[in-house]
Parts: sequence; structure tokens; C-alpha cells
Amino acid sequence: MDNSNHTKRTALIAFVVLSIAVVGYFTGLQSPVRPTGDQSAMAPATNLAGNRSDEQAVLPATAYTDMAEATRARTSWTTQLDGLKNNVDLLAEITIQPADKAAALLAREARRAFNGAPPTIPHPIDQLSDQACAACHADGSKTPSLRIPRMSHQFLTNCTQCHVEQNPTHMAAALFRESEFAGLPAPTAGARAYTGAPPIIPHSTWMRSNCMSCHGPTGLHGIQTTHPWRQNCQQCHAPSAFLDQTQLDREIDFLPPPPVVDESTAASPNGSQNE
Amino acid sequence: MIDAARVERREFIKASAMAAASAIACGTTLALPILGQEPGSTGINWEKAPCRFCGTGCHVQVGVQAGKVVAVAGDKNAEVNKGLLCVKGYHVGAALYGEDRLTQPLLRQGDRYRAISWDDAINIIADRIEAAPERFAFYGSGQWTIPEGYAAQKFMKGGLSNNHIDPNARLCMASAVTGFLATYGVDEPAGCYDDFDACDVLIMWGNNPAEMHPVLFSRVIDRRSRGDEVLLIDISTRRTRTTEACQHYLEMKPHGDLAIANGIAHLLLKNGTYDQSFVEQFCNFKAPDDENPNLHGKLISFDKYRQQLEPYTPEYVEELSGVPAEKIRLLGELFGNRNLKITSLWCMGMNQHTRGTAINTMVHGIHLLSGHFGTPGDAPTSLTGQPSACGTVREVGTLSHALPGGRVVTDAEHRRQAEHFWNLPEGRINPQPGYHTVAMWESFCTPTNAGGDIGTIWVQVTNPGQTLPNLNKLFNPKGNARAGLEDKFLIVSEVYPTATTQLADLILPSAMWVEKNGVVGNSERRTQQWFKMVEPPGEARDDCWQTIAVAHRLYERGLSGMKDRNGRFLFEVKDDSGTPVPIWDWNHYYDVNVDEHLFEEYRQFTRLKHKDLAPYSEYVKARGLRWPVVEQDGEWHETHFRFSEGFDPYVADGKGIQFYHSSTKDDRAQIWFHPWVPPAEVPDDEYPFMLTTGRVLEHWHTGSMTRRIPELSRAMPGAYLEIHAQDAADLDIRNGDKVVVESRRGSLELQAWIGGRGEPPQGTVFIPFFDETLLANVLTLDALDPFSKQPDYKKSAVRIRRA
Repeated sequence: MDNSNHTKRTALIAFVVLSIAVVGYFTGLQSPVRPTGDQSAMAPATNLAGNRSDEQAVLPATAYTDMAEATRARTSWTTQLDGLKNNVDLLAEITIQPADKAAALLAREARRAFNGAPPTIPHPIDQLSDQACAACHADGSKTPSLRIPRMSHQFLTNCTQCHVEQNPTHMAAALFRESEFAGLPAPTAGARAYTGAPPIIPHSTWMRSNCMSCHGPTGLHGIQTTHPWRQNCQQCHAPSAFLDQTQLDREIDFLPPPPVVDESTAASPNGSQNE
Repeated sequence: MIDAARVERREFIKASAMAAASAIACGTTLALPILGQEPGSTGINWEKAPCRFCGTGCHVQVGVQAGKVVAVAGDKNAEVNKGLLCVKGYHVGAALYGEDRLTQPLLRQGDRYRAISWDDAINIIADRIEAAPERFAFYGSGQWTIPEGYAAQKFMKGGLSNNHIDPNARLCMASAVTGFLATYGVDEPAGCYDDFDACDVLIMWGNNPAEMHPVLFSRVIDRRSRGDEVLLIDISTRRTRTTEACQHYLEMKPHGDLAIANGIAHLLLKNGTYDQSFVEQFCNFKAPDDENPNLHGKLISFDKYRQQLEPYTPEYVEELSGVPAEKIRLLGELFGNRNLKITSLWCMGMNQHTRGTAINTMVHGIHLLSGHFGTPGDAPTSLTGQPSACGTVREVGTLSHALPGGRVVTDAEHRRQAEHFWNLPEGRINPQPGYHTVAMWESFCTPTNAGGDIGTIWVQVTNPGQTLPNLNKLFNPKGNARAGLEDKFLIVSEVYPTATTQLADLILPSAMWVEKNGVVGNSERRTQQWFKMVEPPGEARDDCWQTIAVAHRLYERGLSGMKDRNGRFLFEVKDDSGTPVPIWDWNHYYDVNVDEHLFEEYRQFTRLKHKDLAPYSEYVKARGLRWPVVEQDGEWHETHFRFSEGFDPYVADGKGIQFYHSSTKDDRAQIWFHPWVPPAEVPDDEYPFMLTTGRVLEHWHTGSMTRRIPELSRAMPGAYLEIHAQDAADLDIRNGDKVVVESRRGSLELQAWIGGRGEPPQGTVFIPFFDETLLANVLTLDALDPFSKQPDYKKSAVRIRRA
């Protein structure tokens, strides 16, 4: 009897501890504690010169006393486990307003020096390991609080060769000198042959071969496809051989037109034969 | 001799035309499309150019709109990078647009500068030279384009009979040059980047290509994603991003490489796994001649070689290098296996080394001894850090002892040939080598009355105020009012203010990259061309024009050196109608393609060492061509693997391998023995840490361009000290703390970064040198390799304390 009670009590305690651990674990997973509400990894890196400070050598850790505050500061706090995986309804209707598109292009621009530049990294990184990048960006994901873009190209091992962080934790971010470089803006739309025709792809598909990385459900809303159930993008949307650098080294030409005799100037074939 | 070689080549091509393999062996020059105007209303014009930064030689497509570079894309037609770039390359266009570009000539007045006209600036330089031509020196760069370097070379050696011309590449790859010369009798790698696609094993000797040559490193590691098995081995003094991709990390003590190379050779001989047939046919053995030290040493017997290697057992090598004996055995087994393709890769780790020549020859040596040479994937490959360290410095020969095309000033026949090509009177070229880099700056920083006989230095396309070692001795005295250097005059052609312009007396604004025409040569013997695409800002002008304008001003003043044998101007260029074009007048500089004229003249020099270049027009069509580029039936063919039959047209039929520039004149390469010696400076009680310096991925060299690119500057804002966590704990240093680093030569205060980009072992610290306000080189040692005269930036003893 005593033994049985003891076992029950142990089981109950174990259950409570385990429950807290599970909830805590997923809460933690979803909600990285950040020192201030505004330092979201999603915020574009703007006006970094203003952050220059000799004192702020290292990103300060959140004090234990401030953690509740820091946690509350997150607006989309949730414990729903559903959000952790891509529960995407491919058939849901998607409407995109022009303003959404403008916002999406602006958000993209904040991370790129020009259209076609590799996007910069808005979050702290592991200085040495490429596996750390692949862990999230191989498949991409979207949770209520985070959007993790999927790689737009095939896996290339040396991630930090092209993508560099913009808010390094080891040193205060600072612009060394202002730049007057004005990068090529992203195209706002692909040309259409007529109203209702599928737009052509207005950018290079080189290093952007995975359309769904940007235009799929884990992409920014403003440039999402309205028809994610369609799987073969280039069936309807034509790429540009020019931008993809796939031109051949010759004049693209056609066979000559049929040589029609101009009756007004040519002598009559019969007449000449007779002569 | 040249003609004989031509005939041989012709026979070779006839013979090989029948062999199916020849199609693969000799790449044909393809006319690759230049994109041009983008269709539609965008108004963007795309043109090809090699990247401005490192020696890899990636090609980019440059998008120009309304006279400005607005975008950059990887060039898919480029064999080097196959459409991929690194983050520096993607942002290279922004390097032109830092807000503080230099736009007018500036003359020092006390501690300020006054804007002056170009005409005045040219006069000031001409005055300095005219007053004392022998006290003038030209300090150039591996970023000089081939025509720029060639013009400077001709101006100095052909015009002023003055050999005080040396480049920053002396600090970068001089030991690689002496290593090639001592081994093969001729400079530059036999292999090429194709080796990265074929190797089974890649050994990196003190090299961090994941950050410094990322496009090449990716070319290897991306093979794994496709299912290839490649064994990567990192022999290094510090963990880096490269280490993370390697199966084996061999952490060595500084100078451990000398012991490791000997350990490998020892095992190859002991186990009988060396390639006996290769060695007997193609190799001699050499050792340093201690009584008469010189680059070519003395021949020794195979038995003597074996005997000298006897002590280098894996256990003894472990003692010297710190690398476990089992890992030495692993290397020995790999080299002993003829079925594997092994490529060795190195850059500054082996070159910036007081035994740089020795270790370069030794790594070539183990490849030759084991027969891992001459087929795709089997190659000792030395990388360079600048876009034209090979093309300009090594091939044009902008070094104090060299003449174009592998010639030297000390050789009477070589001088005669150069005088012939330049149409100069006999005896114009001075047979005495000039000052090498360190000697040049030491002389400049020494008062005239104390023997400092260099009075004026003209610096182009480089930043010695940041990159010379031991800056407090070799550069900073110029800024010290009490140093007695009032009569010394520093001229700097630059695009941005730098640590060098800070002390300049005259600053000249230069055009850069696609603001001018250019030709460069990368690490795999590939010569690359581009055209001017945008105008330089303000009054910035081409470096090559600056040199020619000064030369012409001296010509106008009657300086006889500026005239050729017929009294014509040294740089006379005629247009199609045969009328001389006044290229010294900036308004007419682009009336003709000066680059093309200089290149065609220079091309004559390249045959002597069989480094034949094609006409300029061939490079316009291609994404670079690897020399020797030889003509057959109107087609120009490049060469992938040098000295190897079936690839190199200058190898005679049936030879297999032929080292046709052998220093022993017997078509053999030299396998060297060198003993292990300790570094020039080792940590002691007073200075207990070993400081090593280097680069980071985001910044190229002194950061004068990359730090002005916001994306790169944000990613890596400033310099730091990398230190091991235990050392930091012992010194009570926390991450981000300010620390003072002191050497016998200077001190520096900067932040500590523990567990950062790289992880040095206990006792070693690292500082990157890109930061112009935290100059790593106030700490470094100016000890030199005895043959290459290259300093060692990797081994300086320092002490550290909290600030």
C-alpha cells in the first residue's frame, strides 16, 4: 500500500516535471530571449552607424530579472506546437495588395546591396560551422514568430563565402565610411504579353533555381505565388536566356524567307526562254 | 632556341592531332559571348571583367546603368568560378563608390594639403626625378595591371637605368618564386585549378582557403555534395573555417612544416614507397651550400639525401612540430600511395616564412619524390593573394633584380634582349639589382647623411603604410618630425585615403578597376582582360597614364633616358595611320588602346621561358587563357598542365615529363633537403605568446576597398585579438575586453575575441591586418628569408595584458 502510494506520488511529480519541461522546451525553442523588444532578427539592418559605441563591445546578455519583461515584449508569443512545422494549406486563397508587394520588396532590399546580391544574415551565426546554417535553411520554415527562408539554390557547402552577418555579436556594428553605391533595385514585376498572360521571370534564375524559396509559403507575403498548388513554375513563367547568361556565341537567326520573284521588275521567264 | 622549340611544338601538334586525347589536353580559345545591352527598358549594359580582389581570378559580369556600376553577377562562362563568387566579389562594384574617393592631386603644406593641377603634380615628380634619378624608387604592386607594371618597369629600368623598383608582392609570394626557381628552374605552378576537380586528397599547408580563396575551396568541398570522396587535411597553427571542412587537423608549432615535409620524405624512403622510376628519370637531389649560400645550392647524391633525412623519424618530427607521429605516418602513407591524386595547397603560411624558399622547395620535393606530379589532381599548387601577382610581378618582372619574361638584370644576354625589344642603346640597363622592398623602405626611412640613399618613393596601387612589417622602423619614421627625413618625398597614387597617404607629400587620385582598361594574370597562369566601363570620379586618372605623363615630361626636358635608340619617346604609340598619338595628354589617352599597345610589345618577352601569350584580341574574346598559349592553324590553344606530355606542347614526344628549364640543364627538377630550424623569433619569458597575422573573408588586404562596402564592413567592423580561452582566463581577460599586445617593436590596444572566427591553440594569438586604425604590423618582425627577401608576418613574440 505504502509502496503503491509512493509510486503514484513519484509518477505524479515526474509527470508535472516532465510537462513543465516539455512546455518550457518548446516555448524556449520558439522564443529566443532577446535583450530588447526591438532587436528582432527580422528587423532590417538600418542606420547601423547610429549603433556605434565603444562600450558595446559584445551584445549584452539579458539579465535574469529582465527575462519576464523580455519575454512579454514579444508580440506573437504562443505555445501552439502547430506553428513549428509547415502546416500550409496549399489551396487557401491568397490575395496580395500592391502595398504588400512594395513592403516585401523593401524588406528584401534591406538585406541586399543590389538585385542579385547574396542576402546578408540578420542574426548571429556560428563562426565556424556550415551545418548550423543547413539545420534551418535547408528546408526553411515559418512559425508565428520567425520566417526562415529556404535556400534558393542547391546546397553549396561554404555558406559564409557569400552570406555574411550584419549584426555581429563580437563587435559593435559600424559603417566605416558612407558609400555612394546605388544598387540596382529589384524588378517590381515581370512583363506580360497581355492582361491575364503569365508574367515572364524578371530576374536571373541562376542561384535562384528554387522558386518556392521566395515565392512559396515560407517566402514574404508580398511576393508569394497565388497558386502554390502548381508545382512546375517554368511551365508558364519563362526565364530570360539573357539574364541567365545562356546565350550562344552566334547570331540567333532564322532561315531566309522563300525567294518570291518580283513581277514588276523581273523579265518574264517565258519571254527569256523564248529568246 | 626559340625557333627550335617552335618546330618541336609544331611536330607535337601534328602528332597529337591523331590522338583523341588532344582535344581534351589542349583547350581551344572559345569566343565567349559578352552579354551587352539587356533587352527591355532597363538600360543596363553587362560586360565581363575579372574581380578586383584576390589572385583566384574569378570573372564577374558588371552591370552598368547611366554611367555607374549598379550590379554584379558571377560569370557562368568563366572556368575559374563557373558563375559563383564570394561575398567580396558580389559586392566589388560598390568598392568604387566610397564617399571619400580621392578626386584631385593634393600637395602637402605642413600638416595640411592643397589641391593642385595635374600639370603641377607631374612637374613636381619630374623635378624630384631630374634632381637625383638614382635616388628615386618606384614601389608597385601585384594589383598593377600588366600594362601598368610593364610601363613602370620600362620607365625605371629602360628609361632611368634605375633598378629600384619593387612590388608589395615581395611581401606576399617572393618565396613561392624562389621555391619554383630552385626546384624547376622556372617560375609558376605546373598545375591549375582543374586539379581541384580531380584530387582525392587536398593538403593545405598553413592555408585557410575557406576564407581567403573561398571560390576555389568551394570547388573542392562542393564535390562532396555530389557524392565524391575527398580527403581534406589541414596543417595549421590555428583552427579556422577551413579546419571545419577537413577530416584531419594537424596542429603544428610554427616552423613545424619543415619537420613535417622531412618526415614525409623520410617515410617514403624508409618504406620504399617513393616513386623510383619518376625520381630516376626526372629528378636530381640538392642541399643548401653553406659555404656559398645561393638559390641553387649544391647537388648531392641520393644516398646523401637519404642520410640527411635519417633523423626525421615520425617521433622526432612530433617533437619538432607538435603533430602526433601517427599523423605523420598517415601523410607518409598517403604520399606513398600512387593510386591517390594528391594536391598540396599553400599561400602565405609557407611564403611569409624566414625559411620560405626552403619549405616551398620541400613541398615540391615530396610531390616529386612520390611521383604525385604532372597529372590532373596530382600537383603542388601555390596560390597568390593579388589579382596580378603572377601576371605583373612574376611575368613582367617588376622586381628589383628582374626584367620582363623571366629575365634578370645581372645577365648580360638578358639585358641585351630587353634593350633590343625596347630599341634602347646598348648598356642602358643597369646590371646591378636595385633595392628589394624592405631595403628600399629602410633606406627611405634612414636620413640621407646616415646613408639613406633613397630620397623619393612613388607608390602605386598599394598601401605600404599598413602592410610593411615593423612599421615603426620601415614606414612610420616618415611622419616623425625628429627623424631627420625632411628631404625625403613620398608620392602616392591612390583611390582612397589610407595609412600610406597619411604620410604622403603628394597624393595622386587614381582610376580603379573598370574605370580603366586592364589585363591581369591569376594564380593558374591565366591572363585576363577587361575594358573600361565607367568614368573615374573627379580628376582621378589611370596609374599607367600617370607613369607615361611623367616620362613624357622628362622627355620634354631632354632627359636622354626617355628616348630610344632613334630619339623617339619611350612610350610612343602610333594610330592606324602611323601618326604618333599624344597619349601623355589625358584628353588623348583613350584615343587609342594603350593597354593593347603595351601588351603587344610585352608579348615579345614571353617566349624565352615558354610563357607565350596570345595577341590582346584573343583575351578580349575569352575569360582568360592559361599560358603558354600557342597558335595552331589560326586557333590559339592554352595549356592546362605544364611539363607534362599530352598537355604541354613544349614537352618533346616520348618524354612523359620534361622540366625543360631545369637549372641543371638536364630536364630534371631538383628535390631539396633542408634541415629544420627554429623561427627567427620564439616566445620567451618576457614575450610569451606567438603572434600570427592574416586576413578574414570579408576584407581584402588592408580593407581600403572592402571596408567602404557597407555589407562587408558591418559583417567585420574592426580588428580583434583571437586568444585561447585558457590563456584568456589566466590573464583575467573576458570576451570583448580591451587588451594591450606588445612586441619588441610596438604595441597595440584592441579587443579580445575568444572562440571567434578562428581558434588559436594555447600560446598563440592572431590579429587580422585589415584595420587601418589598429595596425597589426607595428608588432611584426622584419626578419627575411635569405633568398626571397620576404618577411615573416606569422611569427612574432608578444606579451599581452588587460588594458
